[in-house]
Amino acid sequence: MFSISVNEKGTVVLTGRLDAAQVDRAREIFSGLDDSAVVDFQDLDYISSAGLGILLATQQRLKKGGKAIKLVHMNRMVRDVFKIARFDLIFEIE
Amino acid sequence: MMRQQFDRDIRSLDAVFSFLHRFAEEEQLDARASYVLDLAVEEFFTNIVKYGRGTSSDVFLEAVRSGGTATVRLEEQTSVPFDVTRATQTQFDVPFAERKPGGLGIHIAREMLDGLAYEYVDGKSRITLTKHLET
Repeated sequence: MFSISVNEKGTVVLTGRLDAAQVDRAREIFSGLDDSAVVDFQDLDYISSAGLGILLATQQRLKKGGKAIKLVHMNRMVRDVFKIARFDLIFEIE
Repeated sequence: MMRQQFDRDIRSLDAVFSFLHRFAEEEQLDARASYVLDLAVEEFFTNIVKYGRGTSSDVFLEAVRSGGTATVRLEEQTSVPFDVTRATQTQFDVPFAERKPGGLGIHIAREMLDGLAYEYVDGKSRITLTKHLET
């Protein structure tokens, strides 16, 4: 089960498991971002390279305009995946 | 040992995860091993679906625990072998703006697994993943 929403503060909230079968729903939201934003991983249990690809494309697009996404509240396993992918060098992770 | 057959379709992923979670529960795998097996199987299963390699046959998954090691095998009938252990390495030394996600999944799987093996026998590709369990 995966869900993605944008709350009243403009934070993108991810919930559940972001796998290859769910990336289209994530892409729909991330492709609509045109300003810097926070992405909350608090309730995200799982992410694979399919989800990382969406985040990478979003960061690359936003950086061209001097914007960026910041990732917060990752669990330990998800953080390890980001480190192995060396995405901790691409994103501000809190 | 558990074994199940899956349609070669991205929509099978939910069933693939259900199979892996049943295995994790029955064999009492730790959370990290379960995550790593989910991630690695997802990468290789989606590669099999995407790159078809000249067949529409089903994909078989086998999972077994032996002592402190969990092993999962993906098997498919194909006429075109593809040795995943020799897949192109992800390029980390390119500028951020040029970085592409290709190969990332296999890189992550390799790093998080304890073993990755490939064999092609009698028209069948077999990818074997092993993960040592936390004690």
